[in-house]
Amino acid sequence: MENQLLKPTLYTPAGALLGGRCTCGHVFFPMQTHGCEVCGRYGADLQPMTLSGRGKLLSATIVHLHADKARATPFTIGKIALAEGPVVRTLLLDRDREIAPGTPMAARLVPIGETGLDLRFAPEG
Amino acid sequence: MARTLKDLRPVYVVGIGWHRYQNPSDTPYVTLGVTAIREALGDAGIEWPTVESAYVATALLGMASGRPMLRHLGATGLPLSHVENASASGSTAFRQACIEVASGLTDVSLAVGVDKRNPVRREGTGIDNLAEDAIAQFTHFSLLTNEYAHRHKVSFEDIARVAVKNHRNGARNRNAQRQQERSLEEVLGGRKVAGSLTPLQCTPVGEGAAAVIVASEDGIRRLGIDAARAIRVVGSTARSERVYAAGLGFDAVLTKETTTIALEEAQVTPRDLDIIELHDAFTVEELHYIENIGLCREGEGVHLLKEGALDIGGRCAVNSSGGLIAMGHPIGPTGIGQIGEIALQLRGEAGPRQHPNARTGLAHMVGVGAVCYVHILQRP
Ligand SMILES: [Zn+2]
Repeated sequence: MENQLLKPTLYTPAGALLGGRCTCGHVFFPMQTHGCEVCGRYGADLQPMTLSGRGKLLSATIVHLHADKARATPFTIGKIALAEGPVVRTLLLDRDREIAPGTPMAARLVPIGETGLDLRFAPEG
Repeated sequence: MARTLKDLRPVYVVGIGWHRYQNPSDTPYVTLGVTAIREALGDAGIEWPTVESAYVATALLGMASGRPMLRHLGATGLPLSHVENASASGSTAFRQACIEVASGLTDVSLAVGVDKRNPVRREGTGIDNLAEDAIAQFTHFSLLTNEYAHRHKVSFEDIARVAVKNHRNGARNRNAQRQQERSLEEVLGGRKVAGSLTPLQCTPVGEGAAAVIVASEDGIRRLGIDAARAIRVVGSTARSERVYAAGLGFDAVLTKETTTIALEEAQVTPRDLDIIELHDAFTVEELHYIENIGLCREGEGVHLLKEGALDIGGRCAVNSSGGLIAMGHPIGPTGIGQIGEIALQLRGEAGPRQHPNARTGLAHMVGVGAVCYVHILQRP
């Protein structure tokens, strides 16, 4: 059986992020048509834009305690400024490794559970 | 041209009261709330029927919790509304009460905050996210802690000193949830929750209540309130988050924007501030906010902290109540409790934690969203 993307509305099998761009130039993630946070345009003025999934680490932290027991600790959360502009906060591949701010990062898909694939960021290369 | 609060009728804080902030208990919220209101009425020396409107700040009690509480003071029929604005619920209720008095619609209004530690429920927006369920509040602030430490070459030990100071202040506050002094070793010694953050560097969300009564000069005269103990509200500003450049901390930038407007309205500079109560739910926030309020340049907050400038008796007492870390953060009450603490300090009634010669105080609150509220108070 083919591995399934956990959140196919957010990323592609190649690890690109499904963002959007407003006619005003504002780039955002994820794609939405509710309205642009900068200028308020909505609907067709907001078009899908595939983001490279590369960026620079702003900060990371190792989480030791988490309320949801289904999510095993430790895990690491990173804040990444994507090359195209948006800042995302999400899980890093390494569960408990310190990574210095400024490190170039890239998104990739990793197996989750039996058949799932989910997105994680890790230092590039 | 729009006007500011200061352009309208003068507004004064004339009554303050609390139910102690505490760990979750079986005490009904009604008991918490009426206790704080009765203390505020007693402090002002007025009776409940003289209060002309009420704003009830609560984030976690669900719909329409105010009437079942206020009716036990005597159902006078006063207009009543509920205010929910996350951590800033109390600050928002206070601002609305001030605006109503300043506008001349009422002479005496009440802001009361009350909450129990119930689960937070937020409806989805229809937009998915990568892993927000894995990011607790303390994780957000642990990210900020690491960013701050890296950018300014500051140690985690030094950031943790915020908690040592605030626990020391809370130990002198009978309304604080945490009333125990803690050494730096104790603060650092707990189990880590995320990064370097330990439980004693995080606010213990609990339950409690705080109440503030505001009045106009007409109200003060008519009801025979002691004008010498009345504290004027000289600035009130509220803002919400805009789109900021990548890498700028939105809490900090929003704080700077909001405070700048409030200071200008009140015609005071950061140097004039004797007391600041700010949103220190996590240690690093206090450093971010004092820098963005303008007490010092970015990255220099630790120096002020270490030289005692932020202590009671220092250049500007920050979180003399114990702040969110030690006094606690029951959500609805928090912003109102800050106003109460500043009024106590400016009246010279803060007892064992009195900051000498306090004349001007600033209350700062941010709430998830993000929103930011700043109030500036001055003794006559
Ligand atoms: Zn736009």
